[in-house]
Amino acid sequence: MAQRGQVTASLFATCMVDQLYPQVGVSVVRVLRRLGVTVQFPASQVCCGQPLYNAGFTKPARQLARHTLRSLAGSQYVVVPSGSCAAMLKVFYLDLFAHDPALLPPAQELASRVYEFSQFLTEVLGVDDVGASYTGKAAYHPSCHLLRELGVREGPRRLLGKVQGLESVELPQAESCCGFGGAFSVKFPHISGGMLDDKLANLQASGADTLVACDMGCLMHLGGAIDRRSLPVKIRHLAQVLDGEAK
Amino acid sequence: MAEAASLGTPKEEFLASVRQALGRAAVPPQPPYPALAEGLDVLESQTAAMRQRNAAQARELLHELAATAQLRGWQVYRAARADDAVEHVVAVAKSLGVRRAVRSDHDVFNALPVHAALQKLGLTVTPVVRDQQNSREALRQEIAQAELGMTGADYAVAETGSVVVLPCRGLSRLVSLVPPVHLAVVRPQNVVATLDDVLLLRRLEYYKHGGDMGSYLNFITGPSRTADIEQTLVVGVHGPREVHLVLLDYDTSSPLVGEA
Amino acid sequence: MAEIKTKDFQAASRRSIQDPQLRRALQRVGAGFDGARRENIAEVTPQVWEAWREQARRIKVHTLEHLDYYLELLDQRVTQAGGQMHYAKDAAQANAIVAQLARSRGVRIATKSKSMVSEELGLNHVLEEAGVEVYETDLGEYIIQLAGETPSHLVAPALHKTKEQVAQLLSQKLGVPLTDDIETMAAVARNALREKFLQSDLGISGANFLVAETGTLVIFTNEGNGRLCTSAPRMHIGITGMEKVIPSLQDLAVFMRLLPRSATGQRLTSYVTLVTGPRRADDEDGPEEFHLVIVDNGRSRLLADPELREALYCIRCGACLNICPVYQKVGGHAYGWVYPGPIGAVITPVLVGLGQAKDLPFASSLCGACREACPIKINLPRMLLHLRHKLAESPNADEKSSSPAETAAAHGYAGLMGRPKLLAAARGLGRLAQMPFVRDGKIPHIPLPPLSGWTKTKDLPALPPRSFRDIWDQELSRLPDKQD
Repeated sequence: MAQRGQVTASLFATCMVDQLYPQVGVSVVRVLRRLGVTVQFPASQVCCGQPLYNAGFTKPARQLARHTLRSLAGSQYVVVPSGSCAAMLKVFYLDLFAHDPALLPPAQELASRVYEFSQFLTEVLGVDDVGASYTGKAAYHPSCHLLRELGVREGPRRLLGKVQGLESVELPQAESCCGFGGAFSVKFPHISGGMLDDKLANLQASGADTLVACDMGCLMHLGGAIDRRSLPVKIRHLAQVLDGEAK
Repeated sequence: MAEAASLGTPKEEFLASVRQALGRAAVPPQPPYPALAEGLDVLESQTAAMRQRNAAQARELLHELAATAQLRGWQVYRAARADDAVEHVVAVAKSLGVRRAVRSDHDVFNALPVHAALQKLGLTVTPVVRDQQNSREALRQEIAQAELGMTGADYAVAETGSVVVLPCRGLSRLVSLVPPVHLAVVRPQNVVATLDDVLLLRRLEYYKHGGDMGSYLNFITGPSRTADIEQTLVVGVHGPREVHLVLLDYDTSSPLVGEA
Repeated sequence: MAEIKTKDFQAASRRSIQDPQLRRALQRVGAGFDGARRENIAEVTPQVWEAWREQARRIKVHTLEHLDYYLELLDQRVTQAGGQMHYAKDAAQANAIVAQLARSRGVRIATKSKSMVSEELGLNHVLEEAGVEVYETDLGEYIIQLAGETPSHLVAPALHKTKEQVAQLLSQKLGVPLTDDIETMAAVARNALREKFLQSDLGISGANFLVAETGTLVIFTNEGNGRLCTSAPRMHIGITGMEKVIPSLQDLAVFMRLLPRSATGQRLTSYVTLVTGPRRADDEDGPEEFHLVIVDNGRSRLLADPELREALYCIRCGACLNICPVYQKVGGHAYGWVYPGPIGAVITPVLVGLGQAKDLPFASSLCGACREACPIKINLPRMLLHLRHKLAESPNADEKSSSPAETAAAHGYAGLMGRPKLLAAARGLGRLAQMPFVRDGKIPHIPLPPLSGWTKTKDLPALPPRSFRDIWDQELSRLPDKQD
């Protein structure tokens, strides 16, 4: 575990946070700084290429991945507020460059430094309690790539468990996919929509007023439907909840 | 008998296409798979170690077998004496109103006079063994009409609650399958701990007897069942709806595992 | 070969999702099979389960790497036991072998135990054309045979049918009174088939495993029909894919532990039957002839692709179907061929031709639940990604899944997203373009596909005034790292 105060992390913001949910990025920076981490933001960063990779377009995906390898070179850690994008950097780049002897080593080297946000807090900083407070009943949705590609199961729950004033409620069938899947939700909206319906039914059954996850993709998908149906549930990235300082 | 030739693609041609898919030109002489290279001596020493292990926990294995078999749907009876076992079989046949029974020629029936006891009760009991009076077809008809099929067990597996039957001369495949009730008599020396134990013993037999597995081996674990309609469990489809396991608990003088 | 309707996935999946009876049936899958599977893992402990998976996978990896060797050994041992091997490179050849065996032995009635490979081959149809009456004897298979349908699940073929539908079917086809009692329905099937078993000249079975060392065919069944098919008729033909072989009898133990637990959540099926050759001279009963038909039918294409070879490790337990959120929504028939769910989405395109099944590899959210459930740890999402790549970037027009516009869009995306300054400029334009549609920071409707599909049921977030990059440049980068 790293010594506090000596830790420097590059934030890989992800397209979704950069373009649509900048306040999530702000929360990530605030929480990390509060924990004594020196945060950098490599200005040359771009999309990690996952949407293209998942659609089968490996050539343009590799183009973005090469760019990303360069822009994230040299930092001590890379923190990603998305399980899915972190999995791209940590897992899928190794497949993408499996047959490229020049780029496989830097991809492996990058993979060893990349952490999803909650993973960084619990596994690198060894923190469960960030001194946050939040008023509400929160259900946690473990996003699929975070859960199954990165193997992050308990960390986010532990972090939420330490938030003052937050009541954790269990989401039934929490580990089922919400139906987002990037282009999947556009190509097969009827299937994606069916999965979304199940997730929302479980969310309502949980009695939560806040839905927490570590991926804005899932939360955009769920939140879009929550808004459309005017359900009394707020969507929050984990960083936003942890950013609520004890007053 | 009709022609015994290979139809379709010749073997060599088929294997060559497999090899091509594997990106190789020739069959490897011997793949690095230790189990297949083991000699009889290795199998014998493994078997001896297994027997010793099981003998050391004989009582526990009998308990485990009884408990697991019960959970898998066997009606288990542990007989403290031979008389009890015979009485129990008679009681089962009586309570089911059985009139015709068939049995295999397992030698457990030589030591346990259930045949005579059932006959005394007025049942027709037919041992399924071909002889001058009984052709294969006649025996098959007899099995089809029987209300109870009785067999011994070549092995019983504590891990899974399974009875293993190896059909051969005197041991029909159908006695444990076609009648609606199957009753298996298990002696302690037939009990092994695990599936691995049974498979090890069969491998030993295979190599000992010049590479003959016997045509058939069945692991029987509870009654016939299905859940093909709405995942609702129904017992007794094409096989028996009711299965009884009679464990001859008293007979622990002989060592466990296939010594017989 | 069985009819291929894989091109129809979009429409078929839409129909399925609107079928309320199918929805009810599919809900039982997750709760039933998968729930029981999980209880089993908890019972043996996840550590033991994991060790079993590793062991099973090692066996499969090794066997497939040396498949030619083990097929040769199997052939030798089957022959030694008095059986006869046959090899079929495709479905037509496999069907012809079975039909010829049936014809030359004067077979009039055949009884079949469940075999997905025979479904793949469309064998029943060919045998019927050859004048053989064919009876499926697994209850689920019997039901769909009566209905003239195909299986919708690897282990529970009639899973899509409600008991009311089954009762109707039995009443129509067999003239029995309607009933709502499932036990009665099973008894009807039992009685109808008992007679056929005794008349049958030919028993056909699949194989769950083939043991090379001893030349043994292994089947796992619950009803007893598999035992009857392999015991009562005078000839037994086993027909299966070439990947089913395992080296040694001792390897069977771990698969006996994994397969039933993964499939139906049982500790063990009622019967595990090992068949080695025909009956011996002294045996009381059993078939006089034993034939084993080994089928390729596209499997060597899976074998030849290092990225796809592990699809051949599959033991057809169906655990990946039971857990798949897509399968749970659309059921088996929507996939358009014999093998549904995640494993079907991988092997079907390779077996029937990529160009025939372009949608299947994309019909997944890549959630990875299938890989987690797979007893052999098959990396299904990775193979789906590999197939997507083969389809999207195929040099072959028949196979290519992406239109020129989509390909151009993909490259355009990389061009735009790879240039932060260009992206910032585009963002400015996007902010202007979205203005007419934004309500309260959200976009409830966009008339432009594919986003119009999204906004049918969900709001879209509007681009906020500043990107994170703007906020970093204007504020965050100017604040000290340490606040105290």
